Amino acid sequence: MTLATFGQSALIAMAGLGLTHNTLVVLGGVAAVGCGAGVVGSLTLLRKRPLVGDAAAHATLVGVAGAFLATGRRDLPTLLAGAAVSAVAGLLVLVLLRRFTRTREDAATAIVIGVSFGLGLALLGGITARGMPGGGGLERFLLGQTAALTARDAALLAAISLLAIVVVMAVLKELLLVAFDPAFAAATGWPVGLLDAGLMVLIAVMVVIGLPAAGAVLVTALVVIPPVAARQWTERVGVMLVLAGLFGLVAAVGGVAVSSLRSGLATGPLVVLVAAAICLASVVIAPRRGLLARRLRSRFDVGGDRS
Amino acid sequence: MSSEAFALHAWSMLTAAVVSASCGLVGTLLVVRRMSLLGDAIAHAVLPGIVVGVLAGGRLGGPLVLVGAVVAALLTIGLTRGLRAAVGLAEDAGSGVVFTTLFAAGVVMISLFASRVDLDPECVLFGILELAAFDVVSVGGLEVPRALLTATAVLAIVASGLAATWQLQIATAFDQEAAAAAGIPVAAVTTGLLALTAVATVAGFEAVGAVLVVAMLVVPAATAELLVHRMHQVALVAVTVAVVAAGLGWLAAWRWNTSAAGMITVVLGGFYAAAVVLAPADGLLARLVRKLALDWRVAREDWLARIWRAGELAGAAGESVPRPRPRTGLERAAAVWLRLTGRVNRSAGKVRLSKDGAREAETVVRSHRLWETWLGRHADLPADHLHPPAEWVEHHLGQAMRERIEAELAEGEADPHGREIPPEAGRPDGPPSVV
Repeated sequence: MTLATFGQSALIAMAGLGLTHNTLVVLGGVAAVGCGAGVVGSLTLLRKRPLVGDAAAHATLVGVAGAFLATGRRDLPTLLAGAAVSAVAGLLVLVLLRRFTRTREDAATAIVIGVSFGLGLALLGGITARGMPGGGGLERFLLGQTAALTARDAALLAAISLLAIVVVMAVLKELLLVAFDPAFAAATGWPVGLLDAGLMVLIAVMVVIGLPAAGAVLVTALVVIPPVAARQWTERVGVMLVLAGLFGLVAAVGGVAVSSLRSGLATGPLVVLVAAAICLASVVIAPRRGLLARRLRSRFDVGGDRS
Repeated sequence: MSSEAFALHAWSMLTAAVVSASCGLVGTLLVVRRMSLLGDAIAHAVLPGIVVGVLAGGRLGGPLVLVGAVVAALLTIGLTRGLRAAVGLAEDAGSGVVFTTLFAAGVVMISLFASRVDLDPECVLFGILELAAFDVVSVGGLEVPRALLTATAVLAIVASGLAATWQLQIATAFDQEAAAAAGIPVAAVTTGLLALTAVATVAGFEAVGAVLVVAMLVVPAATAELLVHRMHQVALVAVTVAVVAAGLGWLAAWRWNTSAAGMITVVLGGFYAAAVVLAPADGLLARLVRKLALDWRVAREDWLARIWRAGELAGAAGESVPRPRPRTGLERAAAVWLRLTGRVNRSAGKVRLSKDGAREAETVVRSHRLWETWLGRHADLPADHLHPPAEWVEHHLGQAMRERIEAELAEGEADPHGREIPPEAGRPDGPPSVV
């Protein structure tokens, strides 16, 4: 409940600054997205697949453009539904390439990232060049732009984020078992493949609903950086999840708030920079694992562990 | 289209091809060294270096910008390794943190210094290939796009850099420890590769934008690896694929009026997909054909062996026996084929092997029983476990192997089930010819 309280007090503080109702709801939605991305991203970090979200993220663009071309609509739910389909398809291609070709896994990931993004750009370019009505504005999914979000969109994003967090909590024990010891999990009869696939879908969902705030190119950062920062502070998974959620929330809200100071600034880069600042601070000042703590330990505690 | 407009297109297409060639070339080593995602990271992270280079008075494609980009690329690697050393962060997560941060910083810098930087966030993502032909310099009376000159210089740097260190690069790529033991300065070779990657990336970045550079780096090499196996061949095929894709992608973008960078990438993806399916040795199609051919041979051999065994049970291997029921569709087809080709004769519901058919059947049964015998002797398996492996190996045992096994056996020895082992086809029953 601390998170909700924090979010609430942040919102109240901003209301004091004279922000409109719509802005507040949007900030609330973005906060929930940042929080969910941090939580789900923590699990992919622990599963040692931090960049799997990147392939999904770059594949979303095809779905955004495809959904617009197929339906002629540009409301957020339609576009994000398309994005979700193509994100999952991108991950599926990745799995198939790994299974059926000699291409190394990292090269396969790079191929999915590059080619799907290229296809997305080609579709977007075609839409723009033909001046299709309503086709303008799709580029905001590249680098993130929350200015166009309505309160309903934000509520939808928040609902999906909270749902993702609930799902993670419901199967947390199983996900952690697979993350820490996949061989043991498989040997004791847990459906490792299914749990991994579930985690992939979760990360695809978080990447998709992170698009409005962070954009396809940078949304990876939303699922990678907060967990990395949170990991510095603790050796306990529960604490790490809460911190990652909190850091994600602060980064998302902070980035969106800063971008509103100047019109025309994309939100994605600012969200990433706030997250990076949190991460840098964590790497330096975190107790025990932080650089300062290690430096002090090695100076005063001869023979202490610096491994 | 007027000849003037066509000249513009031709220049841009040529620029794209030259850029692609540099990227395809360094990509060969990146892919083989499992550094594809590092290429992705570098492609993003050079952005702030480029912006700083421009702010410091350089121009796109100029030496200042190149230096800025190379510094940014090396900074990415340094920071990623620093994070691993300092707080034990895995390299993929570390590079995920570093490259997104640097790219974000670059985009924000562009927005803040928009008036002083001749870039906008869009061209960072889409590239400015379409505009390349308008910024020209005169070379010997010919109006040449500046971007083409830059790209050519970059290609010269990359190609000569790699040519000069090719042997060292390959030795380092395949076995770093052996290379280090042989006195090769592995760290310097790797840094050199990263610097060349940064240089190639800058040219690619300008042409097709940050994200698509990764496709230009990785896809040609990954495609070439499916087609050929020696490193210099991979490099040659990769460069060819890159250049052809650049040309075709450019034409496709012009035809359908869309982003050239996007279409070049899509064509690259098409080439890769085609290689996945059609590669002569490892392609899905070749593998399917090989598997079907094997299944077909197994079905034929099984059918002949079943008739032969039925005849053996009935008294003599050449006897007419009631036609067995085919177990699979393929076996049914094999039965028809064998009758049409005269290996099996059929009359009144009974089947009988011809001379050719009997000889082929004997080879299969002989392989089967020899293998059972060998397993029985050496593998310490119970007698009822010998049949399944032999059922598989019977289709793969060559004559030389059969004779080696037979050489171990006593004269006239039977298989573990007490059945006679047929002699090698075409050889009268006698001692094996191999000593």
